Formats: sequence, structure tokens, C-alpha cells
Amino acid sequence: MESNQAAASSMEIERVSTEPKSVSIFHATKPKFEPLKAHEISEGRVQFRKVAVPPHRYTPLKKAWMEIYTPVYEQMKIDIRMNLKARKVELKTRSDTPDISNLQKCADFVHAFMLGFDIVDAVALLRMDELYVDSFEIKDVKTLRGEHLSRAIGRLSGKGGKTKFAIENATKTRIVIADTKIHVLGLFTNIKVARDSLCSLILGSPAGKVYSKLRAVSARLGERF
Amino acid sequence: MAKKEVGSVEALNKLKQTDPPLFLTPSTELSQTARKASQYLFSSLKPFCPKVYFQSLYLDGYVAEQIWQQIDLQCKPLVKKLKGEVIEFEKNPDEVLRLFGVEKKKGRGVEIEDGDEDIEDVGSDENEEEGEDEEDEEEEEGEDEEEEEGGGEGGVEDRFLKLNELEQYMEEDEAREYGGEVVKSKVSKKKKNVHEEEEEEEEDEEDEDDEDEDDELGDFGDDGEDGDDKLGNARYEDFFGGKKKKSVKRQSNIHNKPEDEEQEDDKGDHKQTKESLSTHEKELQKLHSKIEQMEKANLDPKAWTMQGEVTATKRPKNSALEVDLDFEHNVRPLPVITEEVTASLEDLIKERILEGRFDDAERAASLPSKRLKELKEMDENKSKKGLAEIYEEEYVHQTGLGTAPLSSSDQLKKEAQLLFDKLCLKLDGLSHSHFRPKPVIEDMSIQTNVPALAMEEIAPVAVSDVAMLAPEEVFAGKGDIKEEAELTQEERKRRRANKKRKYKVEASKRLVNKVQGNRLPDNSNGTKA
Repeated sequence: MESNQAAASSMEIERVSTEPKSVSIFHATKPKFEPLKAHEISEGRVQFRKVAVPPHRYTPLKKAWMEIYTPVYEQMKIDIRMNLKARKVELKTRSDTPDISNLQKCADFVHAFMLGFDIVDAVALLRMDELYVDSFEIKDVKTLRGEHLSRAIGRLSGKGGKTKFAIENATKTRIVIADTKIHVLGLFTNIKVARDSLCSLILGSPAGKVYSKLRAVSARLGERF
Repeated sequence: MAKKEVGSVEALNKLKQTDPPLFLTPSTELSQTARKASQYLFSSLKPFCPKVYFQSLYLDGYVAEQIWQQIDLQCKPLVKKLKGEVIEFEKNPDEVLRLFGVEKKKGRGVEIEDGDEDIEDVGSDENEEEGEDEEDEEEEEGEDEEEEEGGGEGGVEDRFLKLNELEQYMEEDEAREYGGEVVKSKVSKKKKNVHEEEEEEEEDEEDEDDEDEDDELGDFGDDGEDGDDKLGNARYEDFFGGKKKKSVKRQSNIHNKPEDEEQEDDKGDHKQTKESLSTHEKELQKLHSKIEQMEKANLDPKAWTMQGEVTATKRPKNSALEVDLDFEHNVRPLPVITEEVTASLEDLIKERILEGRFDDAERAASLPSKRLKELKEMDENKSKKGLAEIYEEEYVHQTGLGTAPLSSSDQLKKEAQLLFDKLCLKLDGLSHSHFRPKPVIEDMSIQTNVPALAMEEIAPVAVSDVAMLAPEEVFAGKGDIKEEAELTQEERKRRRANKKRKYKVEASKRLVNKVQGNRLPDNSNGTKA
């Protein structure tokens, strides 16, 4: 055996051994591990996500349910259902969910819809990794009361929403102004730009000034790509 | 005449004796004597006058004013003549000597007259005095000048120092050393001349001195003694009065003096006399004087111009005006505007106008440094694409799989281009010289069944019946095509049955859609836009 082994080792110097050797030998190849499947994480238990539905989004949810359900179930391979009693949307991984991040993405997607974003805009969350949702309140920027607050909100949206749309178009983001709360969806840098312009509007600068700044910044943003 | 003269002289003397205050009171006696005296003087002056108007002074029945005018007539030309003579004597002093040598007595006569006239000066007749005073003074001055000029050459000589005397003394010394006799004669001659001159000087001086006093002709000998006693009143006669004694003294001195003094005197005399210096000695003298001057200049404090910084207090008043000062001017001197300058300028202007070459400032053309960025128009409308679609398009553009999406500016450009093409076509049609077909625009548009020619030409010559659409485009169908009227009963039934069948299929489809549509009545998201 030893002679055989020695002969084998001496003879097989030129031949490259394909079989993986035992771990005891140091210069063994790196072990390959397949990525864990979603349901294998936490020892095969199923992952859950639950997204609460605010009352003002209940009817829109009912109307747009199919549009939510289809991409989540079909593309993301995540189980989704609406718990009417608890007024929550529940998400669950399946056995054939390819990636664990899908669950989170779907949860974010549903959450974005709950905040007030459109389905077409929220779907971008499913498709792109780098998109985020940033929320802040008007009182975070400046303490305003009564009429001033109303005027600030009016300034933010503009006549017929034109200021909001202008910011959206310039920075490639989506903005939702829900009373005193403001939500911004988009890339991180774009969110920053949009947030800056919104803050300047809250603080009182006129729309024209914001536009000029936006123009400069958006050009720079566009150049990067 | 002699009696008259005596009477007149008496009258003069009488006038002289009267007290001055008496002249103030009018008295006929005084006036008579005064008239007589003036008449006498007039006649005595007549021979000297160049122009004789009156033979004698007319007194009878004439007022003082008239008598004065007669005297004035005589005096004025006489005064002029005397002035002229004085000027002549000033120019030619030799004539004076001649005059004196020849007309000695005349001079003396003049003296007497002077004396008489002096007396009259005291008198009250002012008119006469003025004229006569002038005469007196001028005559005296003339004499004095004659004497002085005769005596002095330059400023060295005066009454006391005579170069002639010095020369004479030197010659005496030389004669004593080398040969005596010849010199003595000269000396004696000179002595005589000197003596004569001195006598005359003495007399005149005495006259001058004794204007107010009586004539005192001092004795020559006494004067010398007086001079020794009176040290304060040193006079001419003290030095030169004892003429003979002095000259004798001189000669005795000459004999007594030892040779050393002579030599010293000689040297002194050498130095002082200019004639006996050699050229070398003259040069040396000049050099020495120059050296002395320069040394003196060096020792003295410098002139204010050489002193460096000098304030106004350290220099004499207005001295800066006299000196040529050099200033550094930082300002260019102003151009003097002359006619030539203005003419040249105007010519230049005219030339420029003709050329049209005005040196106007040209605006520098701004170079396009970098490509003009397309200003993004602020789109204030709600974006029609969703966020995902926007990113999708961007991604596609980045990777290069698809074409870049048309930006709003491009669309606008396309629209503008379209409009312009249409306009150009219409304008070309107006000319009709060259046929230009309509540009092919790939557009989805509805083709109407219109005669083709109408579409191609704007001004159709003739209208054709050729339809735009092909028959199959008009109607695409297969089989026998029959009208309603041509159909048989069975065919009508068959048609109706087919129709019903189709309708049923559609109805069922609609129902299915309706069922599904309950959940999604429209494609909106449920949110109010």
C-alpha cells in the first residue's frame, strides 16, 4: 500500500488530481458552499413580514391589489396575503424564493404603497436595489404653526402641484406630501437634492430660487451618468 | 565912468553895511542904492555876454519886475555859456592851465568880483541874488575843477599826495646816487610850477574858506608855524604852506638819510611805481594776488548757493530770484497750443474721416469656450412615466442596448422642423419653375379617397379620376359580393345566423371582461390624480 501510494504519488505528479482531497491536507481547494435558500435560513423556518395598512390606504389597496400581488408572487416568489381582521399585509417566503432579500424588497414595496406612492413608482423598488424611501416632517425643519404651516405646505406643492412635479422631474424622485409628513423615494443622492430643495421651500425661499438651484444640481446629477 | 564906478562901488558897500532887517521895510534910499549897484554890475557883466540886448540897465520909470526881467535876459545866456565852458574844462583840463597862465589877472579880477558879489549875497534883493549866486558858484566850481583836474591823475592823487612830487623825489635820490646836477634843474623847474600851482590853490582855497569871513591872505611863513602849533586844524598850508622850507627840509632829509633808508625807499618806490617792474615780476605779482584771492575765498564762509541745504532764513532776501535754479519736473511740460498744432490736428481728423478709420473700441468676440449646455427645461407636469421606467430607460441608454429616449427639446426640434418643411414646400410652389414633390413623411395618417393629382399639385391643370386608394384598400373581401337587393331568402337567413353567432361570442367575452372588470373597472391605481 505504501509502495503503491508512493508510486502513485510519484507517478501522478504530472497528472492533476481532480478529486477533492480530505481537509487534513493543507493545500486543498477552497470549499464551495452554495448560498442558502430563503427557507433554509434559521434552520428551515419560514420568514415573515407584516406591513400595517393605514385606514386611508385601505380602499386604494383593494383597488390596486392585483397589481401588487402579481409582481410579488410571480417575479419575487413571495407569498402575499391581506389580513383583513388585523388590517395587515403579510408576506412569507416560499421554498423556491431565490434570494432572502426578495422578502425585504417586497416588504418595502408594500410599505411604499402604504405611504402613498403609486404602484408604478413603487415597483421600481422591486426592480432596483439602490432605491430608498426617506421620510421627514415639516416640524423637523422649522417650527411652524397655523397659517404658516398651511402656507408652507402650499409652497411645497405649488399651484396644481407644479413645484412638486418640477422637483420630481429634475431629481428623478417621487415625493409624497401627506399633511405634515413628507416622503421621498429615489436614489440616495437624488433624495438628498430633493430634500434640500424641499427644506429651502419650507424655510421660505421662493420657488424661482429653488428652480435655479435645481437646474444647476440636476445638470450635475445627469452628467454623472 | 570912473566916477560912476566909484559911486556904484560905494552903493554896493552901502548895501553891504545895512542890516538885513532894514531890507524888509520899504525905503526909497535903499532902493536907489540897490538900483545903482545893479546897474553897475550889469554893465560890468556886459562884455562877457554872448548876446547883448541892452547897453545898460534902464531904471527910470521901470518897476522892480521890469528891472528884474532885464537882468534875467542878460543872465540866462551868460549862464548857459558858462555851463558850456565848464563842460569844456572838464574834458580838457590842460586848457585850464593855459587859461590860468595867460589870464592870470583876469582870474584875479574875477576874484575881486567874487568878493563883491559875495557881499551882495547878503543883500535883500532876491532876484539879483539868484542869478548872481548861480554865476558865483559856477565860476568857483569851474575854478576848483580846473585846479583839481590839473593836479590829480586817477584816484591816487589828491591835495596831499602828488605823483609828480614822488617822481621828483625819486629822481632826486637817483641824482644823488649817480649824478646830481641835471636833476636839480628839473626839480627847480618843477618846484616852480608846483609852487605856482600851489599858490593858486592856496588863494582859491582861501577864497572858498573865507566866503563868510573877510579876505585873509595868510602869510606863507606864518602859516607853516601856525600849522605846527595847531595840531587839530591841519590844513593844506600846514603841509605845503612852508614851500621853501619843506623843499629845503626834503633836500636836507635827502642828504641826511643813510643809504639803507634810501634803498628801502627805493624798493618801496620800485614796488609802488609801475613803470620799473619787469615782466617776470609783473607775472609774479599777478600770481601772488591770485593766490591771495583764492586763499581768501577758501577761508571765507562759502556763498549760500554752495552751502547745500539752505533755508530762506539763511540766504539774503530775494536771492533765489537772481540765481538760476535747476528743478526736477515730474510733470511733462504742457504742450503749447499753436496754430500749427491745431492745423495738424485738424488735418489728421479730416484724413481719418475720409478714410473712415475711427479707432472705435471693438467688442471682443466671446469665444465659445465650451459647448453650450442644453438648459433643462423645468417640466412642471406630472411625469407620465413611472420611476421604474425612467430608470429602465436610463439603464438601457447606458448599456447601449436601445436608442436614447427623445428628450423634450428633441421633440420640439422635430416639430419645428416639420413646420418649416411645410412652409418651404408652399413657398417653392409659388415659384413653379421647378417641380418639387412633397417630402415623404412617414406618418400614420388616414388616406382619403381623393384624386391623386390633387394631392401632388397645388394648382392642378386638370383633375383626374384616378383614386388614391387601390381597390383592395377600398374593400378587402373574398367571394361573391352581393348587395342587399340581390340576396335570396336563404342567403339572407344565412347572413342573419352568422351575425347572431358572432354577436353571441362577443357578448360572452364582454361578460367575462365585466366580471373581471369589477375588480379593476379602469386602469387607474385608485388614487385621485
